[in-house]
Amino acid sequence: MSTLKRRDILKIGALAAAASGFPAILRAQSKEIVILGLWDQTGAFADVGPLNDRGMRMALEERGMKVLGRPIKYITRDGGTQAGTSTRRTEEAVDAEGAKFVIGPWSSGVALAVSEVAKRKKVVHLFSGGTEDISGSRCHRYSFQWAASPYTAAKTVVDNFMKANPQAKRWHLLVADYAFGWSVEKYVKEVGKTHGIEFVGADRHPLGEREFSNYVQKAAANKPDVVAMVNFGGDAVAGAREIFNFGLTPKVPLIMTWSSGVEELVQLAPEIRENLWVGTNFYYTADTPAANAFVKEYQGKFKLPPGYAPSAAYSMTRMLLAGFDKAKSDDVQAVVKALEGLEMNDIVGPMRVDGATHQTLRPYFLLRCKAKGAMKHELDFADVVATGDAPLPKEYAACKDIGSF
Amino acid sequence: MSLLAGQILNGIATGMLYALMGLGLSLITGILNIPNFAHGALFAVGAYLLATAVNVLGNFWIGLVVAPLGVALLGLAIEYAGIRRLYAAGHDYQLLFTFGLSLILAEGIILVWGPVGISHLPPEILRGGVDLGFTFYPKYRLFVMVAAGLLVFLTWLFLEKTRYGAIMRAGIENKEMVSLLGIDIHLLFTVAFALGAYLAGIAGALTAPIRGLSPGMGVDMLGIAFVVVALGGLGNLLGAIAAGLLIGVAQAIVAAYWTEASTVVIYAVMAGVLLVRPQGLFGIR
Repeated sequence: MSTLKRRDILKIGALAAAASGFPAILRAQSKEIVILGLWDQTGAFADVGPLNDRGMRMALEERGMKVLGRPIKYITRDGGTQAGTSTRRTEEAVDAEGAKFVIGPWSSGVALAVSEVAKRKKVVHLFSGGTEDISGSRCHRYSFQWAASPYTAAKTVVDNFMKANPQAKRWHLLVADYAFGWSVEKYVKEVGKTHGIEFVGADRHPLGEREFSNYVQKAAANKPDVVAMVNFGGDAVAGAREIFNFGLTPKVPLIMTWSSGVEELVQLAPEIRENLWVGTNFYYTADTPAANAFVKEYQGKFKLPPGYAPSAAYSMTRMLLAGFDKAKSDDVQAVVKALEGLEMNDIVGPMRVDGATHQTLRPYFLLRCKAKGAMKHELDFADVVATGDAPLPKEYAACKDIGSF
Repeated sequence: MSLLAGQILNGIATGMLYALMGLGLSLITGILNIPNFAHGALFAVGAYLLATAVNVLGNFWIGLVVAPLGVALLGLAIEYAGIRRLYAAGHDYQLLFTFGLSLILAEGIILVWGPVGISHLPPEILRGGVDLGFTFYPKYRLFVMVAAGLLVFLTWLFLEKTRYGAIMRAGIENKEMVSLLGIDIHLLFTVAFALGAYLAGIAGALTAPIRGLSPGMGVDMLGIAFVVVALGGLGNLLGAIAAGLLIGVAQAIVAAYWTEASTVVIYAVMAGVLLVRPQGLFGIR
């Protein structure tokens, strides 16, 4: 091989630039609509990301991967349950792949960071999770919240639990120490006041905690009437298991305030689920036409019925597609305007996106788990005790002005 | 006061499990001189094997015997078929190999047992708790405390009082010398790895009813095992036991008064001790 000359190096450089730069431009000009699913495959929510991905794919596939008569290009990235990784991957997908629509991620703390990227890059961002800030103090035109407001959740859970257990006034709280935990805890306490509930203890634990004996010992020492957890996924499962091991449940009722539902319940033995009360954004026995069809197909594919994680991804994707339909365009601003005030009858029942805050107003579920003997089949975890959709009262609303584009 | 006493009990129970993990890792790291990144995965395999053995055989006690033996066999195979070939290749390759192995084992667990976690209840006679006067305490945790303590003691006894134990300790001190004395150093490596794997496996099996099973359960434990080894002093077995207990109890006490810091304290204790004694609690190198 002859030695390289200056001209050759220039040529190679030009080629490299072409290879890295041009395809992005070509892609951006093509007719496909690029949607990013930011789902964690590593980190604290590594187990949830694949489920989110399933739900999102199903929503896209039922439309034949097409909207507005154009093909949809679905790309997914691993955010690693980390703000740094998630924001970087999002920016890369927006810049290099031409993604203008982002759904995810699963952790509310991380999603807040991604929401800032959406605002800066002017792309549509849909999210489902327990922080109130996305449709609250940090609201803006580009981000939308699918999950019920933490207020709606707390109100549904506390009101209906107290209706069934009016004497249970001494509560011990176990709260995950990040954005979601703080939001839900705040409203559990606010709603608790109206019932005269005394919070005899409230401990916060780090995300990803697996050693719960220390917290449970402390909870037991307070002799509470109720233990209520505000945590999620593996944390909630580990906590519920240890609360049972220490002999609190089934004597003392346990509330999982904001649960994934099926995915958490299936990890707990029926003995542990006795006297367990579960608040969740979706439960698979929800009797709506959309839920019936979705649950049937999902269960056919994956055996287990869908819990909150795949359902949220499924419904958010349907919401976004409905936004395209309504806007009759894939222009970001047009889709945002279409999503504002959008009404749908989806898997959880009637949903409406509040244009002023970008909060979805929709029912939240309270379940009561069945004792082992009462279960009709292996997956018959619980009955839906109540649903509630009380919106966040004005005095708490922190999104004063959603702003302009 | 009763809260503190209860927390110390918790700390001892988890500390014993940490000590088992650390002891196994310390043996492997000390004798084979490789950082075993698959130690957490072996822990997870132990837990899953226990659950399967109990389901198939219908008896917790047989499961508790069989599961860690299965992990020891797996360790034997890993050393014999894999690590043995890399002694000459240097640290980077061994590190990459064990790291890759940990991923393969974790994904293998997903393939065999599925991605969703499982609960495994303690055996019938160890369910529920006993009133110790100052606190109500789960029977199974008391059992773990005793069983893990006994295992730690037996391992120590084996290493201190038997001829082969003495050879193993000598192997930690000076491999070349042991080899020159006509002892099969390769066999020693295989035995050490299998024993280390056994300890990880039984720690996993004992943990299963407490923490349940999930494919990623080894990751949390791996970090702690390395902390225990660093804190106790590399290759120091008494140090690993002391460090395991220290971390367990520190974590429990901090959780009683400042719950948010209960994970951080593990690493804070390590950093604190290493600042004062860079060689670890009992370490010499």
